[in-house]
Amino acid sequence: MNLKFCSNTTSYKSLVRPALAAALFLLTALPIFGQDWIKTGTGLGVEKIRIAVPDFKAANLDPRNTELLKTFNDTLWNDLNNAGIFDMVSKSFYPLGQIGSPADVKFESWSGAPPNAAMLVFGNLGSAGSTLTVQGWLYDVKNVASPQVLGKQYADAPTTQAARVIAHKFADEIIFRLGGGVNGIAETQIYYVRGASGHKEIWAMDYDGANQHPVTTLGTISLSPHISPDGSRMAFSSFTGSGWEIRMFSFDLNRIVSFPRYGGTNLTPAWSPDGSRLAFSSSRAGNSEIYVVDQSGGNLHRVTSSKGHDVSPGWNRKTGSEIAFVSGRTGLPQIYTMGADGTNVQRMTDQGYAVSPAWSPNGQFLVFSWMRHYGAGAPGSEDIYIMDIASKQWVQLTHDGGRNDFPSWAPDGRHIVFQSNRSGSLQIWTMLATGTNQKQITASGANSEPDWSWK
Amino acid sequence: MASGEIFFEHESWGRNLAWSAALHGGFALFVIVYAWIAGSGHGSNWAAGGGGGAMGVTLVSNVPLPANPVQTKSVLATESKGVSQSKPQEKIEEPEAVAIPEKNAKVKPRPKPQPTATQRKPQPQPVEEANNVVPFGEGGPVSGPYSMFNAGAAKGGFGFTGGGGDFGSRFAWYVRVVNQKVSENWLKYEVDSRIQTANRVYLTFDIDRSGRPSHVQVEQSSGVPSLDVSAVRALQRIDTFGPLPPDYSGSKVSVEFWFDYTRK
Repeated sequence: MNLKFCSNTTSYKSLVRPALAAALFLLTALPIFGQDWIKTGTGLGVEKIRIAVPDFKAANLDPRNTELLKTFNDTLWNDLNNAGIFDMVSKSFYPLGQIGSPADVKFESWSGAPPNAAMLVFGNLGSAGSTLTVQGWLYDVKNVASPQVLGKQYADAPTTQAARVIAHKFADEIIFRLGGGVNGIAETQIYYVRGASGHKEIWAMDYDGANQHPVTTLGTISLSPHISPDGSRMAFSSFTGSGWEIRMFSFDLNRIVSFPRYGGTNLTPAWSPDGSRLAFSSSRAGNSEIYVVDQSGGNLHRVTSSKGHDVSPGWNRKTGSEIAFVSGRTGLPQIYTMGADGTNVQRMTDQGYAVSPAWSPNGQFLVFSWMRHYGAGAPGSEDIYIMDIASKQWVQLTHDGGRNDFPSWAPDGRHIVFQSNRSGSLQIWTMLATGTNQKQITASGANSEPDWSWK
Repeated sequence: MASGEIFFEHESWGRNLAWSAALHGGFALFVIVYAWIAGSGHGSNWAAGGGGGAMGVTLVSNVPLPANPVQTKSVLATESKGVSQSKPQEKIEEPEAVAIPEKNAKVKPRPKPQPTATQRKPQPQPVEEANNVVPFGEGGPVSGPYSMFNAGAAKGGFGFTGGGGDFGSRFAWYVRVVNQKVSENWLKYEVDSRIQTANRVYLTFDIDRSGRPSHVQVEQSSGVPSLDVSAVRALQRIDTFGPLPPDYSGSKVSVEFWFDYTRK
């Protein structure tokens, strides 16, 4: 009897344990299945390169070196950290002693624990007279036989701005080599709308939020800046006496240049990737529709015609043969794509309120702003989503509340800039295209509608 | 009277004796039967190691347990049933005198592998063992930084040939870039959703000096057309891997890339 009782207990346990495990599994799995997140799997599971970036060494005893080194080291670290392809080794793991030249490198102390670095960036900086000289190296420390991947020397004026530019250039070289031939974004610019009392102007800044400065001073309301692929011109829409018109700013001439006025409300100009054409929305014929003109504003032709409004065009940045846009033809605004001549219209989103599409540089993805549940009782948050165009699979990138809108791709296809009011005021944020590493890059005033330069 | 009484006593004793014999016989039979029953039970327990555990095991094996909800992931990457050689040559002693490496050495026919720290790194080794042994890098989970990758449920690996044949060791960083870009551009959902697992597909392609992949070919099909196409498309999506290292003298490198596919 005793034996039988024991064995019965064992059998009950045997049944109960898997049942409990199954219940726990279901409980932990439910929150995942309960949310509307779909991972496309692209780019997942790829290890980042573990890179050590010790501070550069002073090449001489010039007193200006201290400040220049600080600027250089901070900028280089931030650029590499922001690149999205590196796992930065914490400086607390670094061996003692500065490295100024290849002779100082002790491979085992970097490739082994605790740094366990795959790559090492090091060099020296020295100012003498009116020249600032920086030497930098990139070493594969696990490859003792032929470690050097990159060796560069830069010379410029001994100013903090020059030190910053050199750091950007060197960082971009490293990112270009280790990022598979994709140029870094350290020297790119972000254009945006800055609100002031009663008017809005177009401003520009470095990709990290530094050097914020005005581009236009029109004293009116200017919106939706869009920089040309070669960086020489900027199209935007501005309120004039006759309504909203497309305006053009030339960086070569540093002033507004003439551009035709079409009548009606003309908004959201977008450059084709070859810089030869502009698409924008115009209500000159009543309804807002998408029009395409050549770079000087001539040869106007309409490419959409529907009952609802068609606005916010964005070109396929790889092929230049397709345009994504927002249409209200079925009620609430949704994202559509079409050929650049208006044929082959395809609906991409199926619910909610979707606006602001932007095509990725590789032509594979759309990023846009979406209120998936719109209407009474819906949460009302507006988030940034990325969609793989071929499969229509999408991933939600922002989850932190507030209204997130106007996403724009960085030229490397790894970063996205957008506006968000999650911090209490309307500001510009950047993130990786995976939704990670979200950073606020403007702090004061009201800043919106960012556009990342093409290079 | 007396004789009659004696005879009567004899009769009465014999009857009791019969009862006694019957009872003894019954008892003996009971003992034998009990011993047989108890003995057989004891023998079974003893043979099984005794205790409740043995009974428990027997009973549990008869209970229809629910299947394990989590599927066990097979770590064997190849179809070979061979012994997995999980580590490269770890036991090379610390070289006491290593010649100072020539940093800008040009590509030469490789004389002999020197026991430098580079070769302690996990790299595909030539097969020296019996045929039954899985070469390093082709068995088990990802074990080498430059030879394999994981992307979701999929795995891949590759070998480089170019110049003197030491491209992979001299420019390991470039190999890593190729690895990363291919895995980033391989979209799992392009493979037929009904396919759970497939044979390995081998691709070959060239990388020219500018880093552009060309001559993408399926060297050995997986037998699943959608998997073959997805692997080719991964390469077609890539515009460039970045220029080949400036120190590399050849005009191109050839790459063999393989993809293993298992749906989770």
